[in-house]
Amino acid sequence: MKNQVRELRTQRGLAQGQLAEAMGVSRQTINSIENDRYTPSLPLAIALARFFGRPVEEVFHADRTA
Amino acid sequence: MPTEPPEVTGGRRPRPQAGGGWWALLVSLALGGILWAASWIGGHPVAGLFSFLIMVAFGAIFVVGRRSESIRMMAAGHRADERWRSIDLRATATAGLAVITVVIVAFIWEIAHGRSGQPYALLGAIAGLAYLVALVWLRWRS
Repeated sequence: MKNQVRELRTQRGLAQGQLAEAMGVSRQTINSIENDRYTPSLPLAIALARFFGRPVEEVFHADRTA
Repeated sequence: MPTEPPEVTGGRRPRPQAGGGWWALLVSLALGGILWAASWIGGHPVAGLFSFLIMVAFGAIFVVGRRSESIRMMAAGHRADERWRSIDLRATATAGLAVITVVIVAFIWEIAHGRSGQPYALLGAIAGLAYLVALVWLRWRS
């Protein structure tokens, strides 16, 4: 599962820790999501999409090359 | 500007704070104390002291490393975030698989040497039964 979390976060000038704090998860979790090592649960994916004001399918999308 | 975090909280928990390390130390001390007392009652106070010191060292790791996010998550238990709970679940399953493998191998070893296979037969039966109960329970809930 690919995602745009890193791009959206840096566009807003947020550190991983700040986004983690807002989402109620650890900084490592945000880092793992950004590096495609962890696929978040549906509630967390929706929360991230809402945080960035984007549709969830715009933030998370299937890795078609895999 | 980022929007406010949504009110949807399913799957998300408040981040565990560094204080969890002290709780882990207290639990370790309590468990170590029980082990020491049990060993003392069983006539092995020195072995009990050794167990107690191991538990103290284990608990101290949580206090010394309480600023580490990983240590905080380990100490948080069910309050850890969803990724850590997933890691914890898989680590627990791996540990369970290792124990069950050892129990089965030990059971086979015992019966191959003409012994009854106890206590490994009982441990294996408990593991199998617990798995079936969990399977039925989780199937019923989902």
